[in-house]
Amino acid sequence: MSAEFIRTTCPYCGTGCGLLLKVDQGRLTGSLPDREHPVSRGTLCIKGWSAHEFVASPERLTQPLLKDGDGFHPISWDEAIALAAGRLREAADKFGADAVGGLSSAKCTNEENYLFQRLIRAAFKTNNVDHCARLCHAPTTVAMVQTMGSGAMTNSIADLAGAEFILVIGSNAAESHPVLMGEIYKAIDRGARLVVVDPRRTAVAENAAEHLRIRPGTDIPLLCGMMRHLVDAGLIDETFIRERTEEFQPFLEYLKGWTVEGAAEETGISAEMIRETAERYARAKEAAIVYCMGITQHACGTANVIAICDLAMLCGQVGKEFSGIYPLRGQNNVQGACDMGALPNVYPGYQGVADPAVREKFKKAWGVSGLADRPGLTVTEMISQAGKGIRALYIMAENPMLSDPDVTHVRESLGKLDFLIVQDIFLTETARLAHLVLPGACFAEKTGTFTNTERRFQLLHKAVAPPGEALDDFTILCRMSQALGCPVPYAGPAAAMAEIASLCPAYGGIRHERLEREGLQWPCPHPEHPGTSFLHQGRFTRGLGRFVRPDHTPPREMPDAEYPFYLSTGRMFAHYHTGTMTRRSPFLHREKEAAYAEINPDDAKRLSIRHGEKIRITTRRGSIVTVAVLTTRVVPGTVFAPFHFTEAAANVLTNPVLDPVSKIPEFKVCAARVEKEADDGRL
Amino acid sequence: MTSTLKTIREKAGNLLAGGLADGVLCLGRDRFNVVQPRLFRKAEEVGSLEIEPKWNLAKLAMQTLRSAEKSFRLTVVCRGCDERALLELVKRNQIDAFRMTILSYTCGREQAEACLCARPYPENSAAGEKIEGVDPFGDPRFASLLAEDDQERMARWTGLLSRCLKCYGCRNACPICVCTPCKLEDDLWVERSAVPAEMIPYHLIRAFHLSDTCVACGACQDACPVGIPLLALQLVMRRSLKEKYGYEAGLEADRKSPLLMDFDHASPAGLTLPAWTVSSEAPHER
Repeated sequence: MSAEFIRTTCPYCGTGCGLLLKVDQGRLTGSLPDREHPVSRGTLCIKGWSAHEFVASPERLTQPLLKDGDGFHPISWDEAIALAAGRLREAADKFGADAVGGLSSAKCTNEENYLFQRLIRAAFKTNNVDHCARLCHAPTTVAMVQTMGSGAMTNSIADLAGAEFILVIGSNAAESHPVLMGEIYKAIDRGARLVVVDPRRTAVAENAAEHLRIRPGTDIPLLCGMMRHLVDAGLIDETFIRERTEEFQPFLEYLKGWTVEGAAEETGISAEMIRETAERYARAKEAAIVYCMGITQHACGTANVIAICDLAMLCGQVGKEFSGIYPLRGQNNVQGACDMGALPNVYPGYQGVADPAVREKFKKAWGVSGLADRPGLTVTEMISQAGKGIRALYIMAENPMLSDPDVTHVRESLGKLDFLIVQDIFLTETARLAHLVLPGACFAEKTGTFTNTERRFQLLHKAVAPPGEALDDFTILCRMSQALGCPVPYAGPAAAMAEIASLCPAYGGIRHERLEREGLQWPCPHPEHPGTSFLHQGRFTRGLGRFVRPDHTPPREMPDAEYPFYLSTGRMFAHYHTGTMTRRSPFLHREKEAAYAEINPDDAKRLSIRHGEKIRITTRRGSIVTVAVLTTRVVPGTVFAPFHFTEAAANVLTNPVLDPVSKIPEFKVCAARVEKEADDGRL
Repeated sequence: MTSTLKTIREKAGNLLAGGLADGVLCLGRDRFNVVQPRLFRKAEEVGSLEIEPKWNLAKLAMQTLRSAEKSFRLTVVCRGCDERALLELVKRNQIDAFRMTILSYTCGREQAEACLCARPYPENSAAGEKIEGVDPFGDPRFASLLAEDDQERMARWTGLLSRCLKCYGCRNACPICVCTPCKLEDDLWVERSAVPAEMIPYHLIRAFHLSDTCVACGACQDACPVGIPLLALQLVMRRSLKEKYGYEAGLEADRKSPLLMDFDHASPAGLTLPAWTVSSEAPHER
């Protein structure tokens, strides 16, 4: 008899809860909350409690697989590595360095992301490396760097409990970041007021003092209307603006172009409510703004985030405890994947690829002779360039076949590649398209670190071995690096972290041995530094905070006679993103077994659709058949579809139009048609 | 090191060294000096045994005994609430008392107040000084949850329960929630995929299922990410059982729950515990 409890970090969302994996006689038998964890303090959501379930799934990949005709057949690791390296090298030799691209992973560790971008940059001299942050918080990193100098959540999760006023805009934290939502309830129990802005009556909205049911894609009119009112009412923080910010005058001129009444007209929210919300935000001693994909996944996503930053600076609600801006990062390590430079324009630590001094530093560290000085392609660009500019693609633990907009186009594009390598734990929709599949390891089978949404580096401890011949991704990347002639001169993730620390000032003090109990929040510049719980105290990262004009563009595709509905996509509580893990977890699968879409009962009646009946949703990109859920959570004229379900993939429908600055697609709004579908008894 | 901790370490070490326990389930420091549940197999390991923070272990004890070989004997280091939970599990045939020794200790004032615990000590304490409990019904935090006015109370609870995220943490953490299949996973009662979980089919079924077994450990509410004061539901029922029948779950091994009473036998018999289940000093039979 032996039972062990292995302390690690949850693999689902960016909250980064503490998990104890229960290992009985070498088998993973349960997930338990960690009572000593600084963020989750002994609690978990349904996904956390079920985190062990997919690990021993019989569908796990256990051997490298090579596509042969229509099917896959297993090959040895030696063959697989030689083939992968050979084909990537061949593409680069034939078509130039920029013909190779890599998609790194927000599900993998910091150390793995670091090695991945190092491999792409050092072996091929290209910056074609990106990951799914492009599809979630790319606007956050761009906008917050422009305004404040740092693209991360300004404060800590626990700070929310101390806020007096909380504005949640475009986030359904109750389903998507459940444990973090607990901190918001703590604030409410202490007397704080929660106001939610969302077109849908989400679980968060149901528990708010006010729910502002905004028309999709009108966040900037709302925020600018609020700011205009605060200027008129003299409720702005003039001292803060004078001492801490710049470029206020032109911004003030810009605001004069907005009126509260005009904002009310565009958003569908009363002028009175806009004024009241603005005043409560400005007058609160400490006020927080929490936002998520409802803000970023728009063609004006960057401007949306800018407007939020402007509002916070206008009222001096940033740079102090319990206030600030809370972009809720989606994936467990999407913060870390960005921090580690799995982005086409920066090295680890957000150090620009165009800066010669930075390049020199990385050249020396990686022992290479040259590095590319131009930013590479983004996720969305690499996919649309597949078979054209991009000839060989290496995808680590990402599933664009469900996560990217217009997946019909994604399938066509990936099909044009000379060589596609997918490294994952399951044969995902994307892996099926690969020429070569490499079996990686999941969170329970590796050591390393994840960085949660509040910039906290946290450890993973290995609980069990990967199945069959599968290898942890760090080892695979080391072997790939070796084969491609830029060997990794150290063993193991702890040594990789030491190298990261030596190259990135903000993580200079991060060492695995310092992370055991509580982790560390960056910036943490030296080994004695205690980490930073909130940013911009006394000084913004960029010096002065900068007011920027949030230029509004309405959604690119609006409902019309042919496509009369707004379609919005998102998540539900029992599943996670592309469902690769959650749909293979029996307890989570039981909770929701199949795809559905929410439609208002009034619309349903008009279309003769009853609850539970099949419907067809069609957009200019494609069409899916799903099951109608009649609910007043959505207003008439809108439908909502979660994107977890491959059999009715919501991203068949979404519009791939991009925000021109951050290149995020407009997942949140497109025009759709809804019809009743004849029931053939199948789904 | 407190004397309570010292005593517990000593006794746990003795049980292992003497072959009277094959394992000790307790809190302990791991190799990185962080406290978490541990299963010690060797006497020399007890140097890293800890008794803080509050961390309910009864359910883990049950699972450990279930997955261990039949001859495996387990010592559980725990607080009064866990002692009561273990006793209930024995009464419900979930744990074989002949394979278990409970090594329990008293809670301090601060913990008792944090838990609003009426009985912050075990019946058969192995270490620590017994302190008076807290009367939860005298606490103002509690009073607002049990307001006299029905409508006011309904509004308050509707608001609190509408926070539920359906994590199932209350059930998963509860030491007594052991039914298979669980009613909360029965389509007849609880609608799948609905959040918040509905008040009557989810929360009240759960609460009533535990009406005569809840030992007031508070593990449900400790595990709730959104701070629903779940223990309040149970304490009202506990109080009522005590007032009407003089019965408290987890205290009397030899008495069955009055809710299981049949009409032929007004006072049904419970069971007899072997002495070593509740005393590390008692002679152990193997």
